[in-house]
Amino acid sequence: MMSGMPQILADIGLPVMPGGSELVPFAPELILVATIVGVLLTPFFIKRSNAATALVSLTGLVLALFSLIFVKDAGLGDRFVPMLINDHYAVLWKAMLFIFTIGVILMWFSTTASMMHEGDGPEFFTLLIGATLGMSLMASTANLLMIFMAVEMASLPSYVLAGFRKTDRIGSEASLKYVLFGAATSAIMVYGLSMLYGLYGTLSITSYTVGGVSHPGLADQILNTSISAGGVPLILGLAGILVGVGFKISAVPLHFWCPDVFEGAGVDVSVFLSVASKGAGLSLLLRIVMGLAHGAGYAPSPTLNGLAIVIGVMGVLTATVGNTGALAQTNIKRLLAYSSIAHAGYMLCALSLLVKTGDQDVANAAAAAILLYLAIYLFMNLGAFTVAGLIFRVTGSEDINDYGALGRRSPILAACMASFMVSLVGLPPFAGFVAKFNVMAILAHGWWWVLVVAIGINTIISLAYYVRVLRVMYLTDSDEPPMHVNPLGSVIAIGCAVMLVLMLVAFNPLSKLTTNYGKLHMEKAPAPTAAAPVAQR
Amino acid sequence: MDFLKHWLLTILIFLPAAGALVVLFMKTRDGVRWMTLGTTLLTFVLSMLLFVTYKWDKGSGYAYEQDGGVVQMVQHAKWIPAFNIEYRVGIDGLSLPLVILSTFICVLACIASWNIEKMTKGYMALFLFLETGIMGVFLSLDFFLFYVFFEISLLPMYFLIGIWGGPRKEYAAIKFFLYTLVGSIGLLIVLIGLYLYSRQIIPAPTPGAAAGTFDMVRMATPEFQAGLARVMPGGLTGTTAKTFFMLLMVGFLIKVPAVPFHTWLPDAHVEAPTPMSMILAAILLKMGGYGIFRIAYPFFPEAAKEMWLVIGIIGVVSIIYGALCAMAQTDFKKLVAYSSVSHMGFVTLGAAMMTPAAVNGALFMMIAHGITSAAMFFVVGVVYERAHHREIGRFGGLATTMPVYTGLSTVAFFANLGLPGLCGFVGEVLVLLGAFDAAKSDSILMRSGASWNSIVTLAVISCFGVILTAGYMLWTMQRVFLGPEKPEYRGFAEVDRREQVVLVPLTVMAILLGVLPTVFFFAYTDATVKGMFGLFKLFT
Repeated sequence: MMSGMPQILADIGLPVMPGGSELVPFAPELILVATIVGVLLTPFFIKRSNAATALVSLTGLVLALFSLIFVKDAGLGDRFVPMLINDHYAVLWKAMLFIFTIGVILMWFSTTASMMHEGDGPEFFTLLIGATLGMSLMASTANLLMIFMAVEMASLPSYVLAGFRKTDRIGSEASLKYVLFGAATSAIMVYGLSMLYGLYGTLSITSYTVGGVSHPGLADQILNTSISAGGVPLILGLAGILVGVGFKISAVPLHFWCPDVFEGAGVDVSVFLSVASKGAGLSLLLRIVMGLAHGAGYAPSPTLNGLAIVIGVMGVLTATVGNTGALAQTNIKRLLAYSSIAHAGYMLCALSLLVKTGDQDVANAAAAAILLYLAIYLFMNLGAFTVAGLIFRVTGSEDINDYGALGRRSPILAACMASFMVSLVGLPPFAGFVAKFNVMAILAHGWWWVLVVAIGINTIISLAYYVRVLRVMYLTDSDEPPMHVNPLGSVIAIGCAVMLVLMLVAFNPLSKLTTNYGKLHMEKAPAPTAAAPVAQR
Repeated sequence: MDFLKHWLLTILIFLPAAGALVVLFMKTRDGVRWMTLGTTLLTFVLSMLLFVTYKWDKGSGYAYEQDGGVVQMVQHAKWIPAFNIEYRVGIDGLSLPLVILSTFICVLACIASWNIEKMTKGYMALFLFLETGIMGVFLSLDFFLFYVFFEISLLPMYFLIGIWGGPRKEYAAIKFFLYTLVGSIGLLIVLIGLYLYSRQIIPAPTPGAAAGTFDMVRMATPEFQAGLARVMPGGLTGTTAKTFFMLLMVGFLIKVPAVPFHTWLPDAHVEAPTPMSMILAAILLKMGGYGIFRIAYPFFPEAAKEMWLVIGIIGVVSIIYGALCAMAQTDFKKLVAYSSVSHMGFVTLGAAMMTPAAVNGALFMMIAHGITSAAMFFVVGVVYERAHHREIGRFGGLATTMPVYTGLSTVAFFANLGLPGLCGFVGEVLVLLGAFDAAKSDSILMRSGASWNSIVTLAVISCFGVILTAGYMLWTMQRVFLGPEKPEYRGFAEVDRREQVVLVPLTVMAILLGVLPTVFFFAYTDATVKGMFGLFKLFT
């Protein structure tokens, strides 16, 4: 019966609803939307709804994760082109995002659940899943309009989440700071996007095919435009994108919100923002930059070189500012916030290679390196924040100095935390080492030794503050009694630590996965004649 | 036997870690101790099997056994094919003595740790993990794998100093960690850079596979050197090669440690618990020396020839400055620490001179110093446990209260200062002879244009190191053991059974190595050193 339906609708002149199969690539997002509805409806049936809504969200995320199996090779119907892109890169990022969000919710059970007001659950999870939806979309679009929509869809719930501890003054302050900063950068980004549209007359960054007709994207036209020809509007356009996305990944100089928000928000929100938000931002930037490189046929051009240098410098600055900023922190969440800034910097360094060398293989390898880094970084941060949350739940303190003698008070938590810290430095036997090695190797392969050395120096700086956590946990004494922590939380922490070792030992399958999935869907640009009129604009 | 021959090295690496995991689940303190001792003993016994399985008279040239070389018992498996990184272990004359030294010292250090009461389980587990790191460093033949183990060995030591150390343990631990990490970042950069060059030299064996190699033996072949000469800007003596060589050397010289990178060592030694001082001096410092001979020199022999003067000066300054510093110390343990700096200077000097005698001497020096420094630190530990201070000036007349202890210590002292017939002598004298050899017209250095004057000057200055060593050692002996008996030390107990179990094997080894160096050492290393010189002489 359903199969006849579209025909009837078409016959009476109504827009044709997409058929079932056409919706398959969109399945994870649809499932998330359904989950949001489910979460909102839960309180009508169950009174004590916090845990129930968490379970509903968990179910939704697991379903969305499984739906990716069908999405993987589903392609994309004409209807969604050019708004969305469904390729392996997007699928892998979404898989990582969903796994991570599942981890965050499990962590919520073991950390903040007991402190959350009964009845706040539906709001919280609506926002969380809503942000996840936005972040999942961020990775699968190269359309200016959709980029903006996705970024906002991820940002708006994040603002509220940051201030979710309503009675907490620091939380409210953090949220306000986040909103103001976010609103300003969004405005700049829209301004930049409109410049690009004005210049090239298309919303799509990459070229696309609809109904067998190939359309050039704006990347194909930048090829014909040196900086001087594209002029100030082109620079403004690219800068706008960098500002908007840089805010999401807290790149210097747009990082100021990060420590405050992480400190003010609950530990679950902090960890969510530290990985999901940054990962989504990086994925988006990666797709845009890769699109530009592809449009230029990976040939070096002044525009792209300039972009590479800007991103590279931004990466080094971000890593350095993050690491030096972390040196003085005593609050574990602020410390991890600066650490996450630093790690975003490392990934930005790799990202700059996409347009630096004019070599498609290097660009693909860099994209894979970023995915790999994210996959490993996810477990390090999830674990570290989980331990911080568990300790906060017992002691009510986020001060590192209160971790004294944790090695005696809770040997398992301390050992896990130590593994995460060592992994974040980038030392074996944990996967943080191969993640960093991979990025450095790729950068060296692209002959960008300055960045390799910069990352090396940053690693040494970072040792100082990560080791401080180890020092307090193991080298100081404290009279505090042994700590009894939530068993689920311990399981998550141990799981993350074990994953980190496994990812080093079984690095090969992991790197194969990211290499295979690191290739973005890029269409061949149509013949240059189609683009000719635009160039004379 | 075949199974054992195939798996022995892997077992040696991972057996201690397995023991550590078991230790973590043990209930009683004594159980933990015996388990640790059992593990280290088993590792030691298994490592002795290497004497049986390693064919010291087979092969010549620094290459794999199947290519007629000396590197044997290789086991390898793919690890990260995308970069051609392998799990590859093997053994040759360079690593064999160090492996056996390590397992030997680990057993003694375990016995020396018997009276650790604070968090025994954690201590022993970390100690065993450390042993895994050590074995991994000495047995890896893959550069990446080497680096991984090199780093892995850092962390347990940080905790062992930081938790079980003396009053300034935190400072000492972080200083140790930071210094070594700075060095290893340089190492990492070379690791990546060299691999990228190797991709241009060694094409992918099959389409789709990765090109290049991390195989340390392969990187030290004439073919690879010829390839490097082709692809590196400036060739084998260009800026790139020199930079890479110096980065490697700095990384290893920090570990050795050589002046001016040595300042972490006195702190670490003074604060570390006695058994860890033994491990640190006897084994961890040797990782630096081992890296120099396994990696820095074979990878960049031509750059090494160009930079010989810098390395030589660092070596000589370490010898003299270390000895002078030792002479000025009032803290017994710090004195031994500085004497380590001085002795390891001979290793650096031996490398710089690039003659067979000097290199053999340097390799021997590492083993000899491993034995004597472990003994010295234990000697200090014994007296510290009784007197609770280490002020040399406050001791005196211990010979009358503790005659056995004094006797055993005397052997350690004389072995350390290089008395003929004891192990310290052989190493020092070979390095010095080798240094003068380098002034001969057909030596590698002379043929690559080094100045005769500089070589002889360095050699002559380093000879004074021997005198200085004798000076501070004898002076210390005199102040600690001789003289009138002091009342406050009258009731001191003689070394007990456990302490004898540690000291006696060390003194026996000091004598055996001194009397029969060829049987116990050179028989195994000679072919490997000759093989390496085949490479060093390639372009001269």
